[in-house]
Amino acid sequence: MAYEALDFYDIDSLLTDEERMIRDVVRDWVEERILPNIEDACREGVFPDEWRAEIGEMGILGAPLKGYGCPGLSYTAYGLICQELERGDSGVRSFASVQGSLAMYPIWDFGSEEQKEKYLPGMASGELVGCFGLTEPDYGSNPGDMLTKAEDKGDYFLLNGAKMWITNGTIADLAVVWAKLDGVIRGFIVEKEDEGFTAPEMKGKHSLKASITSELVFQDCKIPKDRILPDVRGLRGPFSCLNNARFGISWGAVGAAQSCFNSAKEYALSRIQFGHPIASFQLVQNKLSWMLREITKGQLLAYHLGKKKDDGTWIPEQISLAKMNNVDMALEIARMSRDIHGANGILDEYPVMRHMANLESVKTYEGTHDIHNLILGRHITGIQSFTREP
Amino acid sequence: MRVAVLLKQVPDTTAKIGVSGSRVDESAITKWSISPYDEYALESAIALKESGADELVAITFGPQRASKCLTEAAAVGADRLIHIVTDADFMDSCTVQSILSSAIERSECDIVLCGKQAADTNSGSTGPGVASLLGYSCVGSVTEVSMDGGKLSATRLGATGLERIEVSGPCVFTFDKGEVELRRPNVRGIMMAKKKPIESIGIEDLGIEIGSPRASLKSHSSPPEKPPGQRFEGAGSIEIVVGKLRDEANVI
Repeated sequence: MAYEALDFYDIDSLLTDEERMIRDVVRDWVEERILPNIEDACREGVFPDEWRAEIGEMGILGAPLKGYGCPGLSYTAYGLICQELERGDSGVRSFASVQGSLAMYPIWDFGSEEQKEKYLPGMASGELVGCFGLTEPDYGSNPGDMLTKAEDKGDYFLLNGAKMWITNGTIADLAVVWAKLDGVIRGFIVEKEDEGFTAPEMKGKHSLKASITSELVFQDCKIPKDRILPDVRGLRGPFSCLNNARFGISWGAVGAAQSCFNSAKEYALSRIQFGHPIASFQLVQNKLSWMLREITKGQLLAYHLGKKKDDGTWIPEQISLAKMNNVDMALEIARMSRDIHGANGILDEYPVMRHMANLESVKTYEGTHDIHNLILGRHITGIQSFTREP
Repeated sequence: MRVAVLLKQVPDTTAKIGVSGSRVDESAITKWSISPYDEYALESAIALKESGADELVAITFGPQRASKCLTEAAAVGADRLIHIVTDADFMDSCTVQSILSSAIERSECDIVLCGKQAADTNSGSTGPGVASLLGYSCVGSVTEVSMDGGKLSATRLGATGLERIEVSGPCVFTFDKGEVELRRPNVRGIMMAKKKPIESIGIEDLGIEIGSPRASLKSHSSPPEKPPGQRFEGAGSIEIVVGKLRDEANVI
């Protein structure tokens, strides 16, 4: 049976023909390539290289960016791409988010003409993989205190420090790394062959198992002078990348939730207990109805935010709200869906436990749930509560 | 050399089919797609274009919604898109063939590719019918067509094995499912397809006279319902089940 995505408020009718076509291409790809293979990829802890190539061939990387071989799509189309990828697996969506929003975007927005021409076309086609180095072992929610530093040595920059939790790190051809130069946060492009740079993979994850997570280690790493991103200083640089990635996550979470909802619905209709399908019991219907309600609200948030991104009327706090809300609801739905599946819910025959474990990471990365609450708290009251300093 | 590919929009093979009265309820079908055999024809048509054909014209005959087939064809490389729009509920095969051949003639295509049959009607008459009306040769159930200079050759599964058939002059090829992998449109293709105009024409624009149909639908009924399955419970019924499998189902 064809996958019928939950669309209770007919969001489909608000999309353009082209947005629907792009969504369907990605949906079919996920159906054919991800769903039959994702459990194996998770078990082996790999992100298959052919997925990278095929995502590149579809031409969806760096979706909303224009020029330099990038697709130039609407933010809604970008959101739909994330939704479909994450319906497959959060790890697959993470690959695309990091490549597009975290690695391509800063080069596209803050890079020099030469940097854009050198990297963006290859990144858009998937031939070059990028990663994004902001978080450090001791600085996660508080990146402003990062220790990684760059020194101007006249002919080159010398980078020292370490980054952690870096999606795509080990498979990346280049890393956009944020480091302090004379105390000011700047962006640098580090290439995988650069002397003094290594990207060991982090093993043992119970979540996002089909996504590569790495450390980036810089030990007297020498990089040429033309690899600094010239047009940005301070946290504005990494934060503007995160805004785009978080926007994509708000859609992606809807995809994961739709997958869990569908699985729960099908299971509840076919599982017989006490002589009747469990879908006929009020407690189960209550859960399904709650899922429908939360997914529908999440879809409307994501859709409207896409429109605001397209017309430029958005504020970062709106993205915080959508990321936080949609991941939270998706995680709750994954847990509830697991509950409806009973013991079967823990098997890899069903996607729910995998989504649930993935969403635990998604709740934390790209601004934790709590940090987004604090961003909204500051917006409401005008008082920041991130630090103890006044 | 100009190539036409005939595409029919049919309910997706995975779509839920509802019945209203004794007919399939089209309004309840949520997903329409290019008929699967036509997809193989389209794939081969693109390959012909890549190996030097001058133009690839995609033609569909159907209601407004069928234009989606053409946009999809454009997204993978069709150059010209012709939609003969109709709201007719039923049309006999001869009429369909004359409409399509007239559109092929108008677009001056000498090579025509289509599926060997449509996934909904399964009549299998369009390709041979169009060939006969146009006076073209026809090679049926091919899996691959290639072009070398002016010569075309096709592979088909014949009675004794794979046949390689060489054709000169105008020809219709009808397609079977092959080993070839269908390409998926990419975003760039979709964006280009959006800009490609669809020539939307009516039957009257083709300058042909649709006479009274030579075939008409006389009656329509649902296939007979299958008898319900039988259910046996408990170890005591093993003998009965074995007996039934042996004597009634003849499977053991």
